[in-house]
Amino acid sequence: MLRIKVVCEILVIFLMISILTGCWDREELEDRAYVIGIGLDRSEHKGKIQVTMLLANPEVGSVQGGGGSPEKPREIISFDANDIIAAKGTVNSIISRIISYDLLKIIVVSEELARDSRFTSIIYDIINDKEIRMNAYLAVSNEKASEYFLKNKPRMETRPHKYYQYMIHHGIENGLIPDSTLFRFFTTLERGSDLFLAMNTAAKREKSPRYKSEDEYTAGQVEASGEFDDTQFIGSAVFKDGVMVGKINGLETVLANVLDDSTNIKDLLVDVPNPFPGRRKQIAVRLMKREKNKVKMDLKGERPQIFITIPLRVVLMTNPSKVDFSEKRNQEIIKKAIKTHTENLYEKLLLHTQKEYKEAPYPLSFYARKYFGTIQEFEKFNWAKKYQNAVIHMKSEIKIIDYGKKQSEIDKGEK
Amino acid sequence: MGKSILKTLVKVLNTKPHFNEQSNQERMELKAQDISTNYEQNLENFKQIFSIPKNVDVKVREFTIRALNRHAFIIYLNTMTDIELIQKSILMPLIENEHAAGKIQDIVSFPVEKTITNIGDITENITSGITALIVDGDHQCYVFETSKVQGRSIEKSDNEVIVRGAKEAFNEKLADNMGLIRKKIKNENLIFEHFIVSKRSRNDVMLVYEKDLINHETLHSLKDKLKAIEVDSVLDLSLLEQYLEERPRSLFPTILNTERPDRAVSFIEEGHIVILMSNSPNCLVLPATFWSLFHSPEDHYLRVPYGNFIRILRLVALFISMFSSSFYIAITNYHVGMIPPDLLMAIAGARERVPFPSIIEILMMEIAFELIREAGLRVPSPIGPTIGIVGALILGQAAVQANVISPIVIIVIALSGLSSFIISDTSLNFAIRLSRFLFIFAAGFIGIYGFGALIVLGLFYLTSLKSFGVPYFAPMTPHFFSSKDLIIRHVPMKERFRPGYLKPKDMVKQRKE
Amino acid sequence: MKQKPGKLGIREYAAIAILMVGSKATEDTPAFLYTGSQNAAWMVPILSAVVFFVPLFLLIKTISLFQGKNLFSVIQQLLGKYIGFLVCLVIFIISSLGISYDSRTYIDIIKAFYFNSTPHLVLYAILMAICTYGAKKGIQHIGSVSYLIVFYTLLSGYFIFIISFQDSNFQAILPIWGSGIPRIFKESIHRLPLFADFFLLTMLIPYLKSSKEFRKGTWIAYSYVTIHISTAILMFIVLFDRSSGAIGYPFHTLIRYISLGNYIPNVEIIFFVIWIMGAFIRFTAFLYVNALMFGYMFKIKDFEYLIPSLAAIYLMIGIIPESSMDVSHDLKPMVQSAAGPAFAAISLMVWIAALLKGEFKHAKNKSGL
Repeated sequence: MLRIKVVCEILVIFLMISILTGCWDREELEDRAYVIGIGLDRSEHKGKIQVTMLLANPEVGSVQGGGGSPEKPREIISFDANDIIAAKGTVNSIISRIISYDLLKIIVVSEELARDSRFTSIIYDIINDKEIRMNAYLAVSNEKASEYFLKNKPRMETRPHKYYQYMIHHGIENGLIPDSTLFRFFTTLERGSDLFLAMNTAAKREKSPRYKSEDEYTAGQVEASGEFDDTQFIGSAVFKDGVMVGKINGLETVLANVLDDSTNIKDLLVDVPNPFPGRRKQIAVRLMKREKNKVKMDLKGERPQIFITIPLRVVLMTNPSKVDFSEKRNQEIIKKAIKTHTENLYEKLLLHTQKEYKEAPYPLSFYARKYFGTIQEFEKFNWAKKYQNAVIHMKSEIKIIDYGKKQSEIDKGEK
Repeated sequence: MGKSILKTLVKVLNTKPHFNEQSNQERMELKAQDISTNYEQNLENFKQIFSIPKNVDVKVREFTIRALNRHAFIIYLNTMTDIELIQKSILMPLIENEHAAGKIQDIVSFPVEKTITNIGDITENITSGITALIVDGDHQCYVFETSKVQGRSIEKSDNEVIVRGAKEAFNEKLADNMGLIRKKIKNENLIFEHFIVSKRSRNDVMLVYEKDLINHETLHSLKDKLKAIEVDSVLDLSLLEQYLEERPRSLFPTILNTERPDRAVSFIEEGHIVILMSNSPNCLVLPATFWSLFHSPEDHYLRVPYGNFIRILRLVALFISMFSSSFYIAITNYHVGMIPPDLLMAIAGARERVPFPSIIEILMMEIAFELIREAGLRVPSPIGPTIGIVGALILGQAAVQANVISPIVIIVIALSGLSSFIISDTSLNFAIRLSRFLFIFAAGFIGIYGFGALIVLGLFYLTSLKSFGVPYFAPMTPHFFSSKDLIIRHVPMKERFRPGYLKPKDMVKQRKE
Repeated sequence: MKQKPGKLGIREYAAIAILMVGSKATEDTPAFLYTGSQNAAWMVPILSAVVFFVPLFLLIKTISLFQGKNLFSVIQQLLGKYIGFLVCLVIFIISSLGISYDSRTYIDIIKAFYFNSTPHLVLYAILMAICTYGAKKGIQHIGSVSYLIVFYTLLSGYFIFIISFQDSNFQAILPIWGSGIPRIFKESIHRLPLFADFFLLTMLIPYLKSSKEFRKGTWIAYSYVTIHISTAILMFIVLFDRSSGAIGYPFHTLIRYISLGNYIPNVEIIFFVIWIMGAFIRFTAFLYVNALMFGYMFKIKDFEYLIPSLAAIYLMIGIIPESSMDVSHDLKPMVQSAAGPAFAAISLMVWIAALLKGEFKHAKNKSGL
């Protein structure tokens, strides 16, 4: 009897505690404000940064049958703070709920701040906040981040987290933006021997962008008309040692993604100059990368030699000159055309980045490691310095797996 | 020193009430006597014992045995006996037979069960439906097995429903139940050992086992326990279960209680002991492990893949009903990042208008669900189904619309409630339903850490449970030799061994010749 | 039908050993290993295992001469009453400090990653309360519970390993020798305490069914754990590359990072539950062994009653350091640097004593007869 009583008493105490304690870590989930995006800008005050928070309103778009809630789907707040961590405290004077970074998807940094040499130390604060997950994305906006969030008004996905989820996911899948998670940012930073590519985004379109072929745009340059949101995710910002040094366009980003074995980019559509006579000068091809790149290096001597072989599988999508690909000769011609075109593209990208940024836009230094026995030797070799003078030999291995429809069939169809 | 003071204090506070019991010394003495040869005295004695004529269903019929030309009377309870049988095979021969015969046995066509002399014994026999014949001048009493107890016939099993396999269930008649078992095991080694527990109402208990399989230590310890029960009456097998259990306060059962004879038989064949009791439509199986409670006979009746499918389903159901609501609490109150963003937004949006913290919300719904369940069980059957609908409608739909409960909580509770039905064993079912609340409190107290702590605590507790010396999770851990019928069962051909934790005399079920 | 209480099966024993040592891969040990030998850190556990194999082998061989005796009784028998007692005391103190600081590390992890504002004391008290309850149930039940959960723990480990694959870069293990071969060897010697738990587990010999089972279980667990820790460290290296050193608790950073697709982005809690269950078992077994030692040293027969007070003492020692930095950078390395050489030396000492006393010859004669 006594034992039952004791057990019951303990249970009652337990129950009291569990219900009554509101302290410690317990927090009802509707008591929190979920930050979807953080924007970082340079502040007018010295030594401070301007932090913008994009908060999602859970009530909009998720409560079924609630009818038209008059509330807006999001809230955006910009204010000055000493650092990102402190910002969390400050913002509670404005927001009624506890700030939570659990759903943080994207950190947008204005180009202005990203090019600032202080940026590395600012972004490093993030590591200290355990709530920020390393799989949040880092993006660089052309305009101020605070403006970026304000301007960004997606039409289809009113809920901000959904918008960023779709936008980033599909952008990465297409290869137009790099997979720039914080995790990759920090590991690249620690490694210190390669460039880091962060996605480039803009909420404002440039006034009169120059027409460019296919994907050679950076954010804000893509011209499109119709009814849609102006925000664009294309191209990437180049970070060297944690500070932004330049930008590369969408096509170059795609190429860098293909070069980087650690991204799992699927297929990409590319236009190749038409080697056959005809009015249309481009052939659309689908490139697929299924195997890993082969990289060989000769690191002896003043100028290291780097041989990169990229295995590509190709599907021809169009055939503007109505060539009969059942002929071996034609097959060879198109193969060669694709080969030289892709090799040119890659070489151009690598030369461009080598010359301008002195480092490779993807973790190329990994491939060099196997030539060394110990870390010390590798460090003595000084990859970053040697790479500047390296000679890069690109080679694509083209395998055309599908030539498209047979010409005779198309002819028949036209008749 | 302090302890002894405490003890005396407890003693002073916990005094047992004293009753002035009326002495029935006189009766006790009467019962201890043998019957006399004096007819009148015997009649007087029995009339006194059975309070005739106050006691309505006790019948005494006086007559003359013509063959012997002596007075005699029979005494029986007409509610417990087959009157026609008495009439035909006892009374008629005795009254009508005119041929002289020396012995009662020669007159009566009824097989005489035995002769008794002690009044107390006779009384006991009469109360269990036996007819007693007392003849003038005879110093012994003839008792005839005429009992015919009213009761249900053998019916379908209600509480342990299965699709395939035998449908019959135990009923309240001990003889029927024994027959149900006997007809499944046609082997002379099957023993029904009679045992009487309790002093006053003298309840019959049958120990059923196969004598060439059973481990005798277990049997002895069981018998010792049965002998040690010192109460006036043990009305039902379920009560006996509580007397026998090592830890009657424990949440988890350590004796299996089933109403299916086929299940009981399968355990007997493995070397377990089964206890039957008169007036109880079920039987006890011991020792019982977690696995025997968790398994259902259907697992084996179905083909291997199907049987394993429902087993895994049951395991999943067990986890869902035990953990889902507490996991919900832990996640929504402490580890919000775990929830997929869309769902999180939906929950947060719905919860914004709910006035209670989510732990109260969950508790409210859990209790509501238990109420519906209990009410559905107790209401008279014509309106039973309506209660379910009303409960679901009112508590589900209306509570959500009134912003008392958020819809996700309904899903969580419904899921955990439904899953709990899959555990067919009543005791295990209760154990899981109750421990669910413990988990809710733990999770509400300190999130997933408390949740994990309670799991470990529970596992420590469960592994330390023992059912007649058999660890609860045997033969998984501690390991015993067995046919490995735990979570996954194998084909029947491979299940060749009896569980090693029983230490049966014969380990291999089908010995290869 | 009463079973003899407290007999451990080989499965249960191996499960305890795997959980006790294997969980070291999930705390701050990998980070230390990385700072020592960089991306060759995965070799260190293997080499340490090889080095520690020698004293452990000798110790077990020596103890197996004395049927059914545990480490302490063998030590006292071989080294004499006073020296023996002193040696036992040293072992007890080292392992007591070990359990205090190790448990403190766990609390630090829980606090840092999952319960930021809950006080240390509450988390710690729950840990110790559960461990006390478990330890009081006896080693057999500890074994049973660890056997029940060891598969889930290992499975979750493999699962994490597979998921983290997609973000890993295997070239990160190159250059293969990391910070140089001499450095690796030095580290391996330095990291002997990785396997010190096996030394302590020899206290449990009388609780096993036979000393043969103990030997078998030990070597199974020993080889498995070596591979396990080494693989885990490899996993951290290929994922984090150079940042491995900077990340204090790589396992938890890892489970926070991995995700199951876009729709279930965070899954760490599931792994956390399994991890914390493993941790409870680890400290329960640790606590039990310590109580056993204490009980043996001071001839206390019902040492189970000591467990709550010992747990309270460990809690108090563990709560003293102010920050997790103190624990993982000063105190733990101190204990560990004492534990490794001390345990190895004691093992050798015991063996030499047995050799000098001619115990091996005795045993041979006995078996010869």
